Amino acid sequence: MSKTVMIVDDSPSIREVVNLTLANAGYNVLEAGHGQEALDVLNGKEVDLVITDLHMPIMDGITLIKELRAKEAFKFTPILFLTTESQAEKKEEAKGAGATGWITKPFVPEKLLAALSKIVR
Amino acid sequence: MDNFQKRFLEEAIDLINDLEKASLALDANQSDKGIIEEIFRIMHSLKGGSAMFGFVKADHFTHNLESVFDLVRKGKIPVDDNIITITFSSIDLLKALFNENEDLAESVLPDVEKLVVVMKNIVGATAVNTGSIAAKPAANQNETIGKRKCFYVLFKPQASLFKNGTNPLYLTDELCSLGTCFVFPRLNEIPAWASMDPTSAYIWWDILIEGDISHDQVKDVFIFVEDYCQLKIEELKVSGLSQKTELLEKYKTQAINVETLTIELASNKEQETEDTNKQRKVVNGIKNLKEINNNNSIRVDSSKIDKMMNLVSELITTQARLSLFSETIDSPELSAVTENMQKLSKQLRDTAFSISLIPLQHLVTRFQRLVRDVAAEIKKDVAFETEGTETTELDRSIIDSLNEPIMHILRNSLDHGLETSEERVRKGKSPQGKILMKAFYSGTYVYIQLIDDGAGIDPERIRAKAVANGIISADAVLTQKEIYNLVFMAGFSTAAVVTDLSGRGVGMDVVRRKITDIRGEVEIDSKVDVGTTITIKIPLTLSIVDGLLVEIDSHNFIFPLSSVDKIYAVDHKQMSDFSQLVTLEGERIPYYNLSYEFTGVAKEVDVEQIVVVRFENQKVGIVIDKVLGEYQAVLKPLGKLYRNQDFISGASILGDGSLALVADPNKIIKKFANN
Repeated sequence: MSKTVMIVDDSPSIREVVNLTLANAGYNVLEAGHGQEALDVLNGKEVDLVITDLHMPIMDGITLIKELRAKEAFKFTPILFLTTESQAEKKEEAKGAGATGWITKPFVPEKLLAALSKIVR
Repeated sequence: MDNFQKRFLEEAIDLINDLEKASLALDANQSDKGIIEEIFRIMHSLKGGSAMFGFVKADHFTHNLESVFDLVRKGKIPVDDNIITITFSSIDLLKALFNENEDLAESVLPDVEKLVVVMKNIVGATAVNTGSIAAKPAANQNETIGKRKCFYVLFKPQASLFKNGTNPLYLTDELCSLGTCFVFPRLNEIPAWASMDPTSAYIWWDILIEGDISHDQVKDVFIFVEDYCQLKIEELKVSGLSQKTELLEKYKTQAINVETLTIELASNKEQETEDTNKQRKVVNGIKNLKEINNNNSIRVDSSKIDKMMNLVSELITTQARLSLFSETIDSPELSAVTENMQKLSKQLRDTAFSISLIPLQHLVTRFQRLVRDVAAEIKKDVAFETEGTETTELDRSIIDSLNEPIMHILRNSLDHGLETSEERVRKGKSPQGKILMKAFYSGTYVYIQLIDDGAGIDPERIRAKAVANGIISADAVLTQKEIYNLVFMAGFSTAAVVTDLSGRGVGMDVVRRKITDIRGEVEIDSKVDVGTTITIKIPLTLSIVDGLLVEIDSHNFIFPLSSVDKIYAVDHKQMSDFSQLVTLEGERIPYYNLSYEFTGVAKEVDVEQIVVVRFENQKVGIVIDKVLGEYQAVLKPLGKLYRNQDFISGASILGDGSLALVADPNKIIKKFANN
């Protein structure tokens, strides 16, 4: 049974890199352009991992993390967020919201998979 | 080695095979630009993959190889025997480098370095000749071989660790992948059952790790959880941990004190073997515990396994009698023992099965070789891929019987199915043909699919041939599926037909016979110019199945539990006798009343019991009289009088000595659906 990962980012190219990397590594990938879309897509569905950007239109990543953690089905689901080195407070905020870990941008597929190996199998 | 790496390893092996093929072609035609481009592309893919998946040594090597071919490609170095020789030696070394056996990879490193120097000289010489900056002299070769270090790690998560989605086991696993690792879980803080909160983390760990690693690498493992745990990482000034397993044994129960441990390990040093080379080899060997387990296999005479399986079957039958007996006697002690027996015999059964099963992967190498050889012989460019062959396991005898039919199918596919590169390009396909071997479980079956993207088979031509051969009459109305299945008819494929027909046909009746021999089925589906898919379906030949025991017309029947979706009790009025449809949870499901089908007499009952099973991706209901419960059925063959029926796969003796027939729901439905 392959694992399903949701990638939430407003940049289609970032979504594509993540999608390609994960699909090659044998994951099923769901995509969403912002937090609200993610919630709509996930509606009733469970996934094994959520990867989300923090800055997005309509609903940002931190709100999304909080929304997901409030749901029974996503209470313990691993959530990774994408961040840049300069966003130190944002990182703390996302961790506080219940994120499992992060990936620093820019990233290469290898880095993404390394981060993944810490939280899903 | 993680899954990504394994996946890449397979890909790398394919790439190396391609490289070998292309190099042979280059040797034959040294000026062919297309082949040179192809070789460069393969090297480039190998390099990219090696870098991405952490094969450092291979990355270093392929980088140099690629540099050489980059110059060849640009026409700065002519292709001569020297280059060809280097390419072939590289292929041999790459085969060793991309081997799961790390010892082998390790053993070729000196040769790799030698060849790298040769390649650097070639590249360097060219760089000087063309007046550009000289290539860097060979870098410090020892750079990659770091110093082995040993660390003590204390990892104590806060109770709230799970709440952000962390699984601490993945972290210890990741740590273990860095080197030789000794993990001591500490359970002393787990509270009493009643006061335990299942969403809190109580376990903590003492870990010792040794390898070519740095403090930062160890720390990096815990990067996401730093804030949520107590973490201590200390370097120990000792080495050779894996030699001291006896000494470490006591720490299973005793907390680690870094100072005492250091002293103990140091004083133990004298006993160490002096041959450091040997020690290194041992440590490398233990690098990955899983790999050891893989290598630690023994060969056993299969008759011994058969005997064990028989004994396990007997044990389970006896245990069923015991369970039945214990129910009639009101003794809590007896039922406790019986329950335990049941648990143990189930585990014993599963273990015994897992011993007799081997992954389909065992066959793949043979197929890869066949595809390569045949493709080279008939000058077609074909990639052979597999999916799921590592995880799909079958009985060894079944695997052996599958070899020949699959070889046959592959040969057909190569010979008749896949087109030549030129023809493929003309059709707008990629020049390289592809054959995919896909294996997966579904219900109580294993599916093996052989999918090619070749020319496909024209159903009209099959039909015409079948009519010509007198297999069907000219006005027969057949579905597409039925037409394709004509290919398997004996007498369909005479030599004349085969050469005429651009599809397959060579002895497909033999293929089918071989597969029916192991109780399997084979089907063919094809689309002209898109490709052909041959699906082999084999029942899991488990001689003991977890079953659902039911009663139909006062007889006991068992359905394999894995094929059962749900069981419903439905008011008879809700069922339509006319359309044979029942609405369950808002879904209209066709059903068959077995009691009626078997006896021809419809019973008057108010509430019907419906077992819903999966049949070819849809749900179908089977109406039975009574659900009796779960039952571990030991399958016994029915004997030769019943060999021509197929919807009963065997019989099983129940605890009270009576018989139950083990039914195959798929075949039952197929049978009644056809009537």
